[in-house]
Amino acid sequence: MKITSDLKYLIIAVIAVFLVVNLSGCGENPTEMQNQPTPYELPDIPGFPKNLNIPADNPMTVEGVELGRYLFYDGRLAGSSHPDSMMTCATCHVQKNAFEAGIDNPRFPGGKTRGLPSAEYPEGKETPHYMLPLFNLVYNHNGYLWNGWVSEENQKLGSEAYGVPAEEPFNFRNLESLVWMTIEAPHEVNGDIEKSVRMIESIDKYPPMFEKAFGTPEVNIDRMSKAIAQFLRSIVSYNSKFHRYLRQEATLSEAELRGHNLFFSEEADCFHCHGGSILMTTNEYFNNAKDSVFNEERDRFVVTGDPLDIGAYKAPSLLNIELTAPYMHDGRFKNLDEVIDFYSEGLVYSEYVHPLMKNVREGGVQLSDQEKEDLKAFLLALTDHQMVNDPAYSKPSDLP
Amino acid sequence: MRQLLSKHTLIFLLVPILALVSSCDPEESKPAPGSLEINFNHLENNDEVVFDEMRYHNAAGNNYEITEIQWFISDLYLITGDGERVALSEEDFAHYIDTNIESTLTWQLPDDIPAGNYAGLAFTFGLKGEKNLQGYFTDAPEANMAWPITLGGQNGGYHYMKLNGFWMNEQQQRTPFNFHLGVGKVEDAGTTNFVQNWFEYIVSSPITVRSNRTTSIELAMNVEEWFQNPNIYDHNVHGAMIMQNQEAMAAGVENGANGGFSVVSISEKNENNQ
Repeated sequence: MKITSDLKYLIIAVIAVFLVVNLSGCGENPTEMQNQPTPYELPDIPGFPKNLNIPADNPMTVEGVELGRYLFYDGRLAGSSHPDSMMTCATCHVQKNAFEAGIDNPRFPGGKTRGLPSAEYPEGKETPHYMLPLFNLVYNHNGYLWNGWVSEENQKLGSEAYGVPAEEPFNFRNLESLVWMTIEAPHEVNGDIEKSVRMIESIDKYPPMFEKAFGTPEVNIDRMSKAIAQFLRSIVSYNSKFHRYLRQEATLSEAELRGHNLFFSEEADCFHCHGGSILMTTNEYFNNAKDSVFNEERDRFVVTGDPLDIGAYKAPSLLNIELTAPYMHDGRFKNLDEVIDFYSEGLVYSEYVHPLMKNVREGGVQLSDQEKEDLKAFLLALTDHQMVNDPAYSKPSDLP
Repeated sequence: MRQLLSKHTLIFLLVPILALVSSCDPEESKPAPGSLEINFNHLENNDEVVFDEMRYHNAAGNNYEITEIQWFISDLYLITGDGERVALSEEDFAHYIDTNIESTLTWQLPDDIPAGNYAGLAFTFGLKGEKNLQGYFTDAPEANMAWPITLGGQNGGYHYMKLNGFWMNEQQQRTPFNFHLGVGKVEDAGTTNFVQNWFEYIVSSPITVRSNRTTSIELAMNVEEWFQNPNIYDHNVHGAMIMQNQEAMAAGVENGANGGFSVVSISEKNENNQ
C-alpha cells in the first residue's frame, strides 16, 4: 500500500502530539516516579466485605504498612528512649491476645491498661474501658471504639483537654485519629506529639522509611498516623476453624457443630448481634441488658444523644474471643463461662434494653449445662491461630 | 497545511460521523426517558409511625411500640395499562430499607424509565432466587440481615424484614418482640422443608413518567396490617420470636400481602440532570 505524503505528515503529527502529551505528564518529577510505593493488596477472602474503610488520602502501600508495623511496635513512639518511659501501641495491644492486652498481661494485671506515669498520675491513669481487639478493622464502617466515637460522622477537631489544636489532621474520623489521640491521652500513652515526632525523626532508620512510604523523608504526626493506620488495616482474621469449615477446609467436632447450630438459632440467639456476617459482628451498638442503672460517660448515647443508646456499646467480633478476656466494656466477666452464664440467666431489664434481647423478661435464654458447653466449644473454634502468629503482624526483630 | 486537509483528512473526519449517523434508528425517535424515585414511609393507621412509644393497639388487643423496621424490596416492575411489565433496576434490584438509616428511605432507581402512563407498580417483599442465597450481600447493613443457614437452608440467606419492638404482655410487662420474616423451616416426618415466604405485591395506581423528569412515589408500609387481616396476630400467643415458627410467619405474611403497602402520593420532582 502506498502512503501518500499528506497522510504520512498527518500520522507523524499525530504521533508527535501523542508523545508530547504523554511525556510531558511523565517528565515532571522522574524522582517521584521512581519512589512510588507499591500498592498493598489485602487478601481476597470469599464472603468478606468488599467495601473497605480506607480513606482516599491514605491508600495502603507495602511500604506504608511496613513503616506502620515498626511504629506500632516501637516504644520510642512515646517520645523517649528511656526504658521506663517507652510505650507504644503494642505495649497494650498484644498479638497473641488478638491485639488486646489480655487478662494475663504482666504489665497490666487483669488486662486493665493505663498510661505512662506522670506528676498528675503517678501510677498512670487507668484507661476507662477494657480494650477492643484490633483485626478486621478495614471492614468496619460503623465507628471505632466501644461507642463509635471515631467515625466519618464526627466533625470535631482537636482536643482542648489534651492541648491539641482544632485543625487537621487532628480529627476523629478514622483509625488515623486514634494514633494522635493515643499518644496524647493520659489514659493511653500519656505522651506528647511533638516529642514523639522529634524522637522518631531522630532515629536513622525512619526518615528513609518515610521517604519510601510517602515520597519524602519528612516525619510528622499525619504521616505517622497514616502509617500505623495502614498497618492496622492490614490485620485481618479469616483463618479460624469456623472460617475453614465455611470454606470446606475443616470439619467441626460434634460439640462444635451443636454449638454452631445453637449460636445460629433463636434459642440462644447470638447471631442477631454477632453473626450478621462471617466477621462475627454486626459492628452495631446494643444495650445488652447488663444493668438497670446507667451513669457511664462513654456509652453510645454520648455519641448519638439518642436516649435509646443509653447503656449501649458495640457488639464486638467473637472471632478470637478465647484470647480477649476480660469481657464487656468494663471487663466484668473474667472468662467465657461467665459470659455464657450471663446471657443464659443473668440479663437485667431496663427501659433502655434493646428489643433483640428478647429473653430479658426470663432473665436470659436459659441454656442447659450441655448447651453451654457446646456453645463454648463453638466459640473456641473462632480462634484464628494463624493471625496471632503471623510474622507480618509481629514485632520487627531489629527493634529494641 | 492546506494539503493536509486533503481527501485523507476528510476520510478521517467523515468515518466517525457516518458511523454515528448510521447508528441512528427509528428507536431513537421515541421520547426521552424519565426516572423514578421511591420514598419509603412507615405508617400506623395512616399516620407516620412514632417510634419508641407504647402507643399502638393491635387487633388482638396488644399494646405495643415499634423500635425499628428493616426490610428488603426487590424485583420492581411498572405495569402498563395493557398489563405488561417493565422490569426496573436490573443492576440494583434489591433495596434495603432501615428506619435507623435515613439514606435508605429513598431509592433513586438507576434505570432510564420509558416515558408514559402506567397503571401500577409490582414488587417483591423480601428476596427470592439468587438474591436470597447465602453470601449474596457481603457488606453491611445488608449483610447484617443474614438469616442463618440452619434456619433457612442455602436459599434462605436473609431476613425479609426485622420489625423489632415491645408489647405489654399478660403480666403488663413491657416485653421485647422480634417480628422477623424470612424462609421458614418445617420438619415433617423426618423431612426438612423450607418455605419461601416472600410475596409479590401489586399496587394499582396511575403513574406517569415524563421525559427528563423524575417521578417520585411515596410507598408506605402499613404496619398495623401485619397483625390484623385476615389473621389476628397476638403477641401473647406467638411470643417474642417467630423465625422458627412457620405458622406465625405464614400468618404475618398473609396479613402483609393483604394491605401491607400502599402508594400514598405520586409527584414529579424535577427535571432530570438540569
